[in-house]
Amino acid sequence: MSVKWSIFNRNSYKDLIAGLLLLVIAIPEGYAQNRQEKQLERYKAGWERLIPCYEKIQYAGSMGVISLGIGWDYGKKKQWETDLFLGYLPRFDGKSGHATITLKENYIPWKIGIGESHWRVEPLTVSLYMNKIFGDEFWSREPDKYPDGYYGLATNLRFNLAFGQRIDFKIKPVGLSNRISLFYEFATNDLYIISCFCNKYLKITDIFNLSLGLKFQFL
Amino acid sequence: MKCRGIIYLGISVLFAGCDPFEYHPYDTRLDKRYKNINAKNIERILASDKNADTVRFVFMGDTQRWYDETEDFVKDVNRRNEVDFVIHGGDISDFGMKKEFCWVHDIMNKLKVPYIALIGNHDHLGTGGEIYEAMYGELNFSFIYSGIKFLCLNTNALEFDYATPVPDFDFLKQQLRDTLSYKQTIATMHAEPGDVVFNNNVKDVFHEYLKRFKNLKFCVHAHAHRLMEDDIFGDGVIYYGSDAMGHRNYLLFTVTKENYECEVVYF
Repeated sequence: MSVKWSIFNRNSYKDLIAGLLLLVIAIPEGYAQNRQEKQLERYKAGWERLIPCYEKIQYAGSMGVISLGIGWDYGKKKQWETDLFLGYLPRFDGKSGHATITLKENYIPWKIGIGESHWRVEPLTVSLYMNKIFGDEFWSREPDKYPDGYYGLATNLRFNLAFGQRIDFKIKPVGLSNRISLFYEFATNDLYIISCFCNKYLKITDIFNLSLGLKFQFL
Repeated sequence: MKCRGIIYLGISVLFAGCDPFEYHPYDTRLDKRYKNINAKNIERILASDKNADTVRFVFMGDTQRWYDETEDFVKDVNRRNEVDFVIHGGDISDFGMKKEFCWVHDIMNKLKVPYIALIGNHDHLGTGGEIYEAMYGELNFSFIYSGIKFLCLNTNALEFDYATPVPDFDFLKQQLRDTLSYKQTIATMHAEPGDVVFNNNVKDVFHEYLKRFKNLKFCVHAHAHRLMEDDIFGDGVIYYGSDAMGHRNYLLFTVTKENYECEVVYF
């Protein structure tokens, strides 16, 4: 029973009861139309939430040379962001280039306006992100040819941690965007952290790498 | 312009000359100083060859994630004056990531004597094999020092499919054609015959091929993370196994015209 209850929130449950009652009592046409419009609005609003609020372009960051992303911000002060990136890694001295995909969660605790100006500083961003690289030489589960748990890692998945800062300013609308943020980040990954933890030789500067980016805010 | 200069200066001071950006842990972009290390170091080895009666070399095991221990290893070898060169037995990296290879090279580059590195099975992970090729060169190679032919062989068959022959008999055949320029042979590899990484269907053939080389003294490998000394094929040719850096020891070989000695050195 409790499972069923959790499916509907209180309002939609009420709506359902009301709907059933209206079916029993003769339904005035106008009311039905009104209700349908409301439902349609709610339906549209639901999908509208999926429209990305901003786009990003990032240089480096262990997800390719250049990555393009879309994202959504939310929370009371829009202090949370979820980004989805597609990146490209050229072949360099290797055999082939690679595409990568990144799911990234950012937390921005403070946004500080500078006086009356259009400028705003975000003194700290903390990010966790998961990057997957595509290519035959990478796997998430060891191929069957290896004895069980031989290497014990997913070579195509890295979990990254980054700290950064941003400066953000209002601009004359260019295309859709009327706010631009410049940001930089220092990022590391799970395997680097493990390596650093076990070795005095590795300094924190050895495992953190710089990346630069731009964010174009639409909504 | 001035502003840009200040930014560049700031970044370069922060990172003391290193590239601060990383495109991916498995990217294969390498600085010039990290390229063709084996070729450059073999050149140094050959240049120092005085055709002496006694050859001394160090064979070290897997470095993987043992950077501190590898640093101590380098200090220990540098204290000795009699070593001609060092052979790294493979598993340079733990996960095949570029930074790992570079970190190990940065440490090994402090050796007073030249070093060369074989490829280990861990070095094949991700784009590790491509990084090894760009950094160190061919997977199978050889050189002749003081009349001794050093065969450096890729034996990590598990990391390849049948399209790539591992071990590479064509390479061995081609090496066998030269019968004049050396008097003794030492075969080095990462994984030894019988190990799961080796193509054991051909281990006997492999051994027979090695025995065709002039005066095969012994074989030496890394990989097992323990000291080993086995007459694997029961014919008196010993396969010596070097321990991992984590266990803080290495093998020191002294080879003369008639004899050789294998010493385990703890540091």
